[in-house]
Amino acid sequence: MSAAYEALRAEAGPPREARERPLLRVDLTTSSVAAGADGTLSRLRESIAARGLDVEIVRVGSLGLSFAEPTVELQRPGRLPVVYGPLPAEEVEDFLDAVLGTARSEAGGDDRRWAIGVRGGDGQAGEGQEGVPPLSAHPFWAPQQRRVMELMGVIDPESLSEALAGGRYAGLDRALEMEPRAICDLIEAAGVGGRGGGGFPAGRKWKFLLGAPGPDKYMLCNADEGDPGAFVNRILMESDPHLVIEGMAIAGLATGAERGVVYIRDEYPLSVARMQRAVDEAAAAGLLGGDLLGSGRAFRLEVVRGAGSYVCGEETGLIASLEGLRGMPKIRPPFPAQRGVFGLPSNVNNTETYAHVPPALLHGADWYREFGTEADAGTKMFSIGGALRRTGIVEVPFGSSMRELLEEIGGGVPDGGAAKGIQPGGPLGGLLNADDLGLDLERPPFTERGVLLGSGGLILFDERACAVDLALYFSEFCEDESCGRCTTCHGGSQRLVEMLGRITRGGGRAADLERLGVVDRTLQNANCLHGQFTPYAIRAALRHFREEVELHVLERRCPARACRGLIRHRVTDASDPALAEAAALCPTEAISGDDASGRAIDEAACVQCGLCAELAPAAVAVEDRFPVAAAAPA
Amino acid sequence: MRCVTNGANGGERTDAGDLTPAQRDRVAAALADVEPGKGNLLPALHRVQHELGWVPRAAMTLVARRLGISEAQVYGPATFYSEFRLTPPPASLLTWCSGPTCRVLGGERIKLILEETLDCRLGENGPNDDYGLWLGQCNGTCEQAPQVWLNGRVVGKLGLADAARLARRLRDGETADAIAPPPADAVEIQPALVRRGETP
Repeated sequence: MSAAYEALRAEAGPPREARERPLLRVDLTTSSVAAGADGTLSRLRESIAARGLDVEIVRVGSLGLSFAEPTVELQRPGRLPVVYGPLPAEEVEDFLDAVLGTARSEAGGDDRRWAIGVRGGDGQAGEGQEGVPPLSAHPFWAPQQRRVMELMGVIDPESLSEALAGGRYAGLDRALEMEPRAICDLIEAAGVGGRGGGGFPAGRKWKFLLGAPGPDKYMLCNADEGDPGAFVNRILMESDPHLVIEGMAIAGLATGAERGVVYIRDEYPLSVARMQRAVDEAAAAGLLGGDLLGSGRAFRLEVVRGAGSYVCGEETGLIASLEGLRGMPKIRPPFPAQRGVFGLPSNVNNTETYAHVPPALLHGADWYREFGTEADAGTKMFSIGGALRRTGIVEVPFGSSMRELLEEIGGGVPDGGAAKGIQPGGPLGGLLNADDLGLDLERPPFTERGVLLGSGGLILFDERACAVDLALYFSEFCEDESCGRCTTCHGGSQRLVEMLGRITRGGGRAADLERLGVVDRTLQNANCLHGQFTPYAIRAALRHFREEVELHVLERRCPARACRGLIRHRVTDASDPALAEAAALCPTEAISGDDASGRAIDEAACVQCGLCAELAPAAVAVEDRFPVAAAAPA
Repeated sequence: MRCVTNGANGGERTDAGDLTPAQRDRVAAALADVEPGKGNLLPALHRVQHELGWVPRAAMTLVARRLGISEAQVYGPATFYSEFRLTPPPASLLTWCSGPTCRVLGGERIKLILEETLDCRLGENGPNDDYGLWLGQCNGTCEQAPQVWLNGRVVGKLGLADAARLARRLRDGETADAIAPPPADAVEIQPALVRRGETP
């Protein structure tokens, strides 16, 4: 350990815990704020002050338990911390009665109402305490292997001291003693692969940059996480930003790049703020800048905000954006390692990739490979959501079963519903049938099924979702986000949207089944992956949901009743009183009549939004607009 | 690629009006420490938007001069990236999340109900610019799906009737901040919204 690092660690002190007074950790991230965590925090502050309690309140990142937000964690001196949630602002008073009042029964409250589990001092295990089971026994937590998520939800993401106390920058300190090539070798031997979806070995990629001539090189972090439904990088930056910074600095030392940029999508303002703060604090402490920990070596880092463009997640698009141009991808070669940002050799890795670097460097290749598969070593963060009981962020070994991830950790479809399929890897990732739930979470089995594992977003959908509607949705997304440089891509995606739109409105033609394939093959000539992967959704729908697509095209029927052009709503019980509210709220005022005369839907005015069926399910039937029987009148 | 007639921020405002002297000063102050060069274009445009709430054409001219690049080099990216607003934001902004988790849970129908009830299409403002219905990109708060944002605050787990009721309150004159009041410790989870955009 260098003297400079030792001094920083000494100054930071030991990890924060409840010593003399209770410690209340409040998860303050985008996910928890969406559930009202900032309101909960305000109420906690007010109530604790009003009660004259001596409680230390600290803001932390996310444990990944999005389904239980807002979460808080209370540690009383001499006890293990207990995680609670959801705790909405209006339940704060009752909660404080229960946890900081007298005995449970006397206080009239029972903290077990909110308790999720007892978190062990090591962040992994726990013994259980006072009737609250250990978090490690919770189905969401038990199968996880939290390596990069070790400190997430435990430390204050806006405090360098807490990051240092948790061991951050020990990897950087070690890397400063190593030769650049030795760092690349170690990361390559560990098998740290690109977490954006490509899986390319980071150590090997770095060697391209190490071999590039000249002193001016750039290390770039792709934090553009544009895949809707994926939020792995966001949680990482909001919860443990110093881990990403440390990984980038090590990559800088490994390649001779003395400058770095974190490019963060504009839709993540809290990530931008926390990364910027972390960079500033690290620079002030000598962990970034012209003299890393007194070694004389340099790595300067800046944070750049994107401005809303999906293709900037493609590395050459990202580079164009950093140069102040429209974010249009370029044809490779030249690869970024030859000619990157501002024409200088550059390396682009995903945010999570950098987060895996410090632990791999500290613990070595064998440790790193203890988890994972031949194709994909180590662990991977996944964001899971959709028709799922427990939405959240988890870290599991590559090669874990998707069924375990979605059904055990995620709890499967709520209310005992049946899963219909999975949408992996964002808009370019395709669709999978629920029959494939047993796939292992590594790239090869996904590629074999014609889909992408991608950057870690997995969306489970149930019988309410329609494969054709989803293919249309993703085609529309890709059309809108096409950069417009190559006609193949923007024209091809337009054709897909036109054809799928026509099919969902009842205009399907038998030849469409063939022609969708023609558009797909044509799109393979697009300049970049955006265009080439645009047809993945419809290709996967044709492969894994063939029957459903054929029903749309050939019989004009949507079994999921999702495609509005193929269904109609009809009143089956005109006197149902629930129809009164439906009539009052109907956005197109399509429900006529009154309680006395009964009510009916005016077909010409109805837009098939389904609001009436939600409010009066017993009185409104959802039917095929083009019933098969009607084609053959008696 | 954002098409100027069909983007997240609606059609492009074509007025070539100039900024007021006070606005020019504010933009100049916001750009004062931005170094010339193309690489600072995105930060410069973000500053303008932060200052004025949107990016008027006339401000693009000031950015071009400050960075020493042509107006075309500013105009291209300013209209390419969907987070730069080319029209002033309304006082109450209802943002509809376009993400896939919302989609599989009924988001498309919520959009339809909002459009019909508010009588404006996605990307447009209502009468008098009191409220607007704009497209939002998924920010990964999918446990709240399907959701919308009222001046950046998430209103989630919406049923279809919930969406209709919410839209009616806006249409009938309630403000976004009245419907979803920010708490004392409010954290911005959407790009900073300057509440009342100023027209030059």
